[in-house]
Amino acid sequence: MSQTNAQTAAPYPNRLESSPRLRSLKKALGRFFQNKLGVAGGLFLLILVILAIFAPWLAPYNPMKQDYMAILQGPSAKHWFGTDDLGRDVLSRIIYGARVSLKAGIISVAIALAIGVPIGLISGYFRGFWDEFIIMRITDAMLSFPSLVLALTLAAVFGAGLNNAMLAIGLVYTPHFIRLVRGQVLAQREREYVEAAIAAGISHWRIMLRHILPNAWAPIMVQATLSVAGAIISEASLSFLGLGTQPPTPSWGSMLSEGQGYITQAPWIAVFPGLFIFLAVMSINVFGDGVRDMLDPKLK
Amino acid sequence: MKTLRKAILPFVVIALFAFLAACGGQSSSNGGSSSDAKSGQSASTRTDKSKLVIGLDADPPQLDPAMSTAAVDRQVYQSIYNTLVDIDKNLNYVPELATSWKISDDGKTYTFNLRKNVLFQDGTPFNAEAVKFNFERMLDPKLGSPRLSEINLIDKITVVDDYTIRIHLKQPYAPFLSVLSDRAGMMVSPTAVKKEGKDFANHPVGTGPYKFVKHVKQGDLVVERFDKYWGNKPKIKTIVYKPFPDGTTRLTNLISGDVDIVNTIDYKDIKRANSAANLKVSSTESLGFQGIQLNTKVKPFDNKKVRQAVNIALDRNAIAKVVFFNGVVPATSPFPETSWAHPSDLQVPKADVAKAKQLLKESGLSNVSFTLKISPSPQEKQLAQMIQSMLQQVGFKVKIEMVEFGTLLEQTAEGDYQAARVGWSGRTDPDGNAYAWFTTNGTLNYMKYSNPEVDKLLQEARTSLDQEKRKALYDRVSKILWDDAPYIFLYYPKDYKAMKNDVEGFVHVPDIMIRTENLQFK
Amino acid sequence: MIVILFIVSVIIFSLVNVLPGDPARLMLGQEATPEALAALRKEMGLNDPLYIQYLHWVGNILHGDFGYSLRDHSPVLKTLLQKIPVTLELTFFSFVVAILIALPVGILSATRRGRLSDYLGTFFALSGISLPSFWLGILLIYLFAVKLKWFPPSGYVPLSENFGKSIALMILPAITLGTHLAAELTRMLRSSLLDVLQSDYIRTAYAKGLLERAVVIGHALKNALVPVLTVGGLQLAAFFGGSVITETIFGIPGIGQLVVNAILTRDFPVVQACVLFMAFMVVVINFLVDIAYSIIDPRIKLGEVSKG
Repeated sequence: MSQTNAQTAAPYPNRLESSPRLRSLKKALGRFFQNKLGVAGGLFLLILVILAIFAPWLAPYNPMKQDYMAILQGPSAKHWFGTDDLGRDVLSRIIYGARVSLKAGIISVAIALAIGVPIGLISGYFRGFWDEFIIMRITDAMLSFPSLVLALTLAAVFGAGLNNAMLAIGLVYTPHFIRLVRGQVLAQREREYVEAAIAAGISHWRIMLRHILPNAWAPIMVQATLSVAGAIISEASLSFLGLGTQPPTPSWGSMLSEGQGYITQAPWIAVFPGLFIFLAVMSINVFGDGVRDMLDPKLK
Repeated sequence: MKTLRKAILPFVVIALFAFLAACGGQSSSNGGSSSDAKSGQSASTRTDKSKLVIGLDADPPQLDPAMSTAAVDRQVYQSIYNTLVDIDKNLNYVPELATSWKISDDGKTYTFNLRKNVLFQDGTPFNAEAVKFNFERMLDPKLGSPRLSEINLIDKITVVDDYTIRIHLKQPYAPFLSVLSDRAGMMVSPTAVKKEGKDFANHPVGTGPYKFVKHVKQGDLVVERFDKYWGNKPKIKTIVYKPFPDGTTRLTNLISGDVDIVNTIDYKDIKRANSAANLKVSSTESLGFQGIQLNTKVKPFDNKKVRQAVNIALDRNAIAKVVFFNGVVPATSPFPETSWAHPSDLQVPKADVAKAKQLLKESGLSNVSFTLKISPSPQEKQLAQMIQSMLQQVGFKVKIEMVEFGTLLEQTAEGDYQAARVGWSGRTDPDGNAYAWFTTNGTLNYMKYSNPEVDKLLQEARTSLDQEKRKALYDRVSKILWDDAPYIFLYYPKDYKAMKNDVEGFVHVPDIMIRTENLQFK
Repeated sequence: MIVILFIVSVIIFSLVNVLPGDPARLMLGQEATPEALAALRKEMGLNDPLYIQYLHWVGNILHGDFGYSLRDHSPVLKTLLQKIPVTLELTFFSFVVAILIALPVGILSATRRGRLSDYLGTFFALSGISLPSFWLGILLIYLFAVKLKWFPPSGYVPLSENFGKSIALMILPAITLGTHLAAELTRMLRSSLLDVLQSDYIRTAYAKGLLERAVVIGHALKNALVPVLTVGGLQLAAFFGGSVITETIFGIPGIGQLVVNAILTRDFPVVQACVLFMAFMVVVINFLVDIAYSIIDPRIKLGEVSKG
């Protein structure tokens, strides 16, 4: 049983497993563009990235600018998404909030990758006592915590703030990657080319980095993409509970929690940031699915 | 291309739906009252008059008054316990467990005549021994009671006879009756304490009109009429306290749910409550003050000019309007307008950015930045962001940090802060709003503020029994505090309670307690 | 399993011990005296070395003693036992909601592949997976409680106390929590149904001339449900995470709300007990899913379920 429970995180046990054979990039891209939903998701993501990068030029107002004469105003030509409880423009805050959310999603997953991939690689390659009894058992234990509860506790340990929240979320996602990478490595290691390489006296490090990792990267990238979606929700949840971004920096999660109290008088404050979280997460999900189909059309 | 359009469609549909929801809310925020009112009528035909539900803003964490530190606890205590003396609407002291009292001329000896034929809910008789037991329990340092600092001037307690008790103080202490009208004056059953020990808080026993039945954490707290209660027999059999930390949820449950009265409504919801046809709203000014606590021992607030700059830069009227919808009174001193010590000549000044800039310049510091610690509620966040924005105009760089309230108190107690949003619920006697806060080494003086003149004035004010003389002393204190600015007084809170139209017998005392004894349905 | 629980307990203990905050100060509050603080620290064993504190803690738990809350001194075990049924009730109803949505949508989607109903079903699954539960919860309250007044906005009544009211209060939170699972299940059901429908024996059944409905329900569904059950079971564990937000929004006094409040108020014994309980449940559920799986599909040996 201890062997299996760690799979909680991967509801589709098989979808990432069999090693994808990379065909020509052109063909793969062609497949991707056949997936209309994936393309639509990718387009929306692109828009979000552009919004985030060019926020200062695209936002109609300064997202921190308070206007006490214009608090709690509904959507209008002047303020498309209305104003919040301090008279700030909700649209501008959402545009700036895209920075926080995307940053949180990407950096959290980058942290998880940076820790998880080397550990999984080494653990799976050398196996033995450390792998079987220490690393895997700790991974299993970490995976038996509900992820949001673990993230909350870690965030409380590190203290409130965006950087700490990203670190907390990254750590929570790490065991998923350890497990995934290790599984890939175990599969690759049995291949003939690895045995041949060992026989040829090529160093272990070289085999790991030059041969095994490149063959395992596709499922890792797919998992990473989908994890970004999860990380964005996690950051929003932490901010919603007060442990993420600190005011006045706009983040979608904290805007939602600030707007919750005004849901009867001024629902737009909470509705629009939530909508953007939803759309961003959905885009990443369909985009990730598209990438998966692109990398391995056999998987569905 | 056609299929691509099809793929984008869901995004558009969702966006449209959300947009409609948002706009729909806008149009109805004007007409929201009518829909609230409609549901109200259907709820007003009450069939079950034996149960009253009180909505609280938090789950009461502690049911032992000797250990309580949360204001919300005191709401529940109104049902379970009695105090030795009570206060009325005009803040006069009135009898409760003590029927009368005498204060010696030197102000050091208090003699109480106790009410006869009073029983604790476990059948233990209430008498002078029980009172003595209660005070000795709170005075025992091993218990670690927060009440200790309120009553540590007690020198000794003598049981004169079964129903007379005499308390000797080490020095005259004008606010003593005020202290006894609060948690320190709440009498718990000695039998229950001896039997339950630490577990007493989970099986509280007092002399109040209702006895404790059960408490589910973050859920219902149920009390039931105590049939052998000494006073008027309560009309309602069962009272249920329910916590609703979110203000909107609390009010919605009052308007269209089974809640009958709530202990507070958010300032932003006052309008909504007023326009709901099935509710009535009662308001009073309360006893406390709210503002920013500045650590006068660390940079930049060890510099008086910097503190003064903050004090003059904040637009208290704008804060009252935007954050509190004019539901609070802008403040200049620790004494709210309900208090006789309120300095009426200390007017709320207009925010003066130019003068603040000048003061900051005179301070000799440049690029002044500091961290303002707040507790994580939407209202606090809103207030902090206003402060941040106002001070930015003067040249301050303010960082906001959200810390859970308990941790916030802990960090301010340890001096681990520059500025913190901590206020005070207030006490009936002005001493309770000033002595512990502003005397050197005062138990709540986390500003580490020290001014020998203030120490002297406050000491003198607490030992005098002459109100006129005390008023003059407190006026002086208010002026010095305004000038020294260790604490930036922002506003005096007001208390708003809303209840169903058929709830009767509620008296709004500035201590903001719901006295359940006389509540009934029409 | 024992090893995992041991590591879990060590992780929880260390995490809680590095949480900033002084338990003694928290217990005594705003007006505590230094002497009282020192005395209490000593009494609580806060001055002992960490491993001694850990052994004490584990030893007590094995004796059924989870310690006392720092906030109100109530026994943690008692609180926990009060909360568990509440969360289980919410979990149950969410599960019901999820199945009620997923079965028809999944079947429709798979049997009408490529048609409008498939399109809508897939779209539902996608959006359900991407909907942040806190946003969904707020929207549901706003729409159905504040505007339409069909349901009470929030709160909780035990089933035993008032059945109808309890159900009415559970509907919105169950939808909030169940939607995500419903989406996962729909997705899973659709793809596994498609797999089965294309397999040889179904084709044989078609060839024999059985009605389509009978084929789907009689043969395909039974086989397709195996992986769906796994996902469902494993997702049950994730429910504890989801319940945190849902319970907070809807004011349901369950484990999720308890643990959030305990973390935010640094109520260490409560945090430890809750998290330990949740992890324990996850470990146990995974174990049960393994067993269930091996019963449904005897070809699979215990412990190999999700290895693949």
